[in-house]
Amino acid sequence: MDREHIRNFSIIAHIDHGKSTLADRILELTGAVDKHDMKDQLLDNMDLERERGITIKLNAVELKYRYNNEEYILHLIDTPGHVDFSYEVSRSLAACEGAILIVDAAQGIEAQTLANLYLALNNDLIIIPVINKIDLPNADIPKVKNELINILGFREEDIILCSGKTGEGVKDLLDAIITRITPPKKSDTTETKALIFDSYFDSYRGVIASVRIFSGEIRKGERIKMMATNAEYEVVELGVLTPKVKTLDRLVEGQVGWINASIKTIDTVKVGDTITTVKNAAKEPLPGYQPMKPMVYSGLFPVEPNKFEPLKEALEKLKLNDASLVFEPETSEALGFGFRCGFLGLLHMEIIEERITREFGIDIIATSPSVIYEVLLTNGDQIYVDSPTKMPDRAKIAEIREPFITTNIFVPAEYIGAIMELCQDKRGIYKSIDYIDENRVNIHYDLPLSEIVYDFFDRLKSSTKGYASFDYELIGYKAQDLVKMDILINGETVDALSLIVHRDFAYQRGKKIVSNLKDIIPRQLFLVPIQASIGSKVIARESISPMRKNVLAKCYGGDVSRKRKLLEKQKEGKKRMKMVGSVEVPPEAFLAVLKTEK
Amino acid sequence: MEAVYIHIPFCNKICSYCDFPKVLHIDSFVDEYLSALQREIEWCYDGERITSIYVGGGSPSSLTKKERIKLFRILEIFNRTPDCEYTFEINPQDIDESLLDDIVAGGVNRVSIGIESFDPDNLSILEREADFKDIEAKLKLLRNRGIININLDLMYAIPGEKISTLKKDISKLLKLEPTHISTYSLIIEDHTKLKINDTQYISEDIDRRMYDTICDKLERNGFEHYEVSNFAKPGYRSRHNLNYWNNGEYYGFGLGAAGYKDAFRYENTKNLHEYIAHNFRLTENLLTYKDQMDNELMLGLRKLEGIDVKEFLIKYGQKIEDVYPIKELIEKKDLIYKDNHLYINPNKIYVMNEILLKLL
Repeated sequence: MDREHIRNFSIIAHIDHGKSTLADRILELTGAVDKHDMKDQLLDNMDLERERGITIKLNAVELKYRYNNEEYILHLIDTPGHVDFSYEVSRSLAACEGAILIVDAAQGIEAQTLANLYLALNNDLIIIPVINKIDLPNADIPKVKNELINILGFREEDIILCSGKTGEGVKDLLDAIITRITPPKKSDTTETKALIFDSYFDSYRGVIASVRIFSGEIRKGERIKMMATNAEYEVVELGVLTPKVKTLDRLVEGQVGWINASIKTIDTVKVGDTITTVKNAAKEPLPGYQPMKPMVYSGLFPVEPNKFEPLKEALEKLKLNDASLVFEPETSEALGFGFRCGFLGLLHMEIIEERITREFGIDIIATSPSVIYEVLLTNGDQIYVDSPTKMPDRAKIAEIREPFITTNIFVPAEYIGAIMELCQDKRGIYKSIDYIDENRVNIHYDLPLSEIVYDFFDRLKSSTKGYASFDYELIGYKAQDLVKMDILINGETVDALSLIVHRDFAYQRGKKIVSNLKDIIPRQLFLVPIQASIGSKVIARESISPMRKNVLAKCYGGDVSRKRKLLEKQKEGKKRMKMVGSVEVPPEAFLAVLKTEK
Repeated sequence: MEAVYIHIPFCNKICSYCDFPKVLHIDSFVDEYLSALQREIEWCYDGERITSIYVGGGSPSSLTKKERIKLFRILEIFNRTPDCEYTFEINPQDIDESLLDDIVAGGVNRVSIGIESFDPDNLSILEREADFKDIEAKLKLLRNRGIININLDLMYAIPGEKISTLKKDISKLLKLEPTHISTYSLIIEDHTKLKINDTQYISEDIDRRMYDTICDKLERNGFEHYEVSNFAKPGYRSRHNLNYWNNGEYYGFGLGAAGYKDAFRYENTKNLHEYIAHNFRLTENLLTYKDQMDNELMLGLRKLEGIDVKEFLIKYGQKIEDVYPIKELIEKKDLIYKDNHLYINPNKIYVMNEILLKLL
């Protein structure tokens, strides 16, 4: 297969704009999948992806398509739609020459469409604008066309109309992929260079690397080398996904495929690294990626203390194809041994937590998420703090700075008031409002990231009846009047519950948290005061009344075995409790800091 | 082996809270049931001297005269000691001269009456009847026949009940001058009418206040609080029930009855047809040494005087403090160790599960 007949592209879209359905239709039309083999959203491999209807991990498939009687090979590299995963998007885009930008014919452009589009433009990709779901009864094609032309600057004649559901226009789209997207650039070297843009762990075969060959070729049986780690392996098998696994003898320049080299040690295969061959070794690796810096940190602790090692293994395996996940051991007085984990955002955090529970069967307690703070000390040093417990003593702090973001909030104009109120509540700084048309606006606020972490999405959803779409971009750090708030249970500070708050909001937050804890922590044999404090000053207090009754009211001859079982059951229930001093605290309590609804 | 429990599963009326094995009284079954009961006793009873018999139900007093006479004849098999405590559960409505003739002739010397409450609202929830005047008259009949050892049941924490209602119930109960009072807060058990109707428990705080009220009132009227839910005039503690709380062995005969013999705990079938077909046993479990000790604790600590530590050593060959982490609990005043007895701090008896959970 010559380079001129290869096209590498990805699809970018807002959640729900029909990316996966359109991808399915493309697979069908190119004969990659028989119609009767079709299951919905074929590219979404993980259960979690299919359930949530979102794509988390990218996927690469090879398709064959005939155009003007010539056969072409198309590599479709899927991308996640959510802003948290823009790192993943940039990874897949680096392996492409073009991208299809999908916009829903009824919804129009949305916050995430913009973010992904900018990423694609930064990667110098050719973009094919597509209006999807044109079969919808409420499709408003002229309006969406206008948005694409006026806001994003496309030309009308470049816009392709199609429907992933009916298949209408999909052929036009495939033709456009051939005609508009350029073939992979010819490399200026013959050295073998393959970019690892993804990898995953197969329990039978070991680590499987997804690669794009930028120059040279890799053959089965050849010795390969990971340029970052210098680890050498022999290729056991290689091939492409069509999307079925297809083995080949070699992968050549421009091709996108997978390599199995019987690699058992997870950390020798780094996403972004370059694979070369021993015979045709490269001198310099490919540029690779800048891994995105985690923005949100949370402590993950196994509910059962003996699950520390399995949790570690789970995190290592997840990190294998998710370089953005970082973790280091953390010890909490309340929760024992666990890990401080860094995530790209809240959805990323949620997904990792869910995968640990679901795929690895480990019950975990997640402490409330924190952002990363820049702290200027009185001695002039500057440190980064990813956990409230690591915040230095107040006397040593000259200034605390926190990350700020700027928003794109797409919303019907009638909700402007609601959004402004929400953003003011969240310490937002008003920037501007762009009118997309007479009914829709894009609202820009600068907000502290920590306020997004704390109940922003829920409130955004409820105050706009779900009509808002939201995206953000980090803009830097700003000094704020922040203080560390401690939570004391029965007079003891619970490290896992400490948090950083703005001084003006401290009282209100403190009150809410102690009241939440009062509801969550069951009564004990003694009165349990719950306090929120800043330094030594208590700013909110509740107390849990002592337990008044826990007795087997009657117990006679016939009851003995049954009552024993009842006690055993109570004992089982106690096992999941964490001891804070002499108070038994259920795991849910550690997220009480986040709960706002009662 | 000294105690015998006999279960009579027949009732004329089913109460909303009852989860004991019971069926409405149908004549044809009763005779077959009694014959099966006789067979079970003959098969299992090893002829030991018996110091207490308890005939419970159901409603043993719902039996007809003929059935009653047959029952007492069956129970003649037991080798009773002269001072054997012999209790019969009775519904006040069922008391008449004929019944008294039979129970006195049968050797009964203690009667237990489930009054539960006098309050009309409570009674309607429990689906029971209780008329103070009638009961007063019936107790007089009992005493005239020499049965002076009388237990009355009192239930509290019934949905909607007020402390004032409970106080009235206690006063009336005291006026009837029983020698023993068993009291317990309503338990909404599975498969009862209350549970099916999704009845909700009264709040923990009110429940506790009611319990404290009962303890206070009864103690001030000369009753000794000797077990979580039981009170007795001096000399009238229930020998039968104390045997349970002392983790003593006992026979259980009849539908759904449970027994404990030679380290085995067994339970009978709750299916009347199975029972009548002589398929008595449902389960039989050999208790480990630890199980036995655990039960000793769970049961023994129900008594206000607690566990006799020397007897524990004799019975199990181990010191209680070597088996259970009692030291810490003594320091926290959850447990008290005094005069060779280990017992729960009386202030904490109503939360004793929390303490047991730390021990077991």
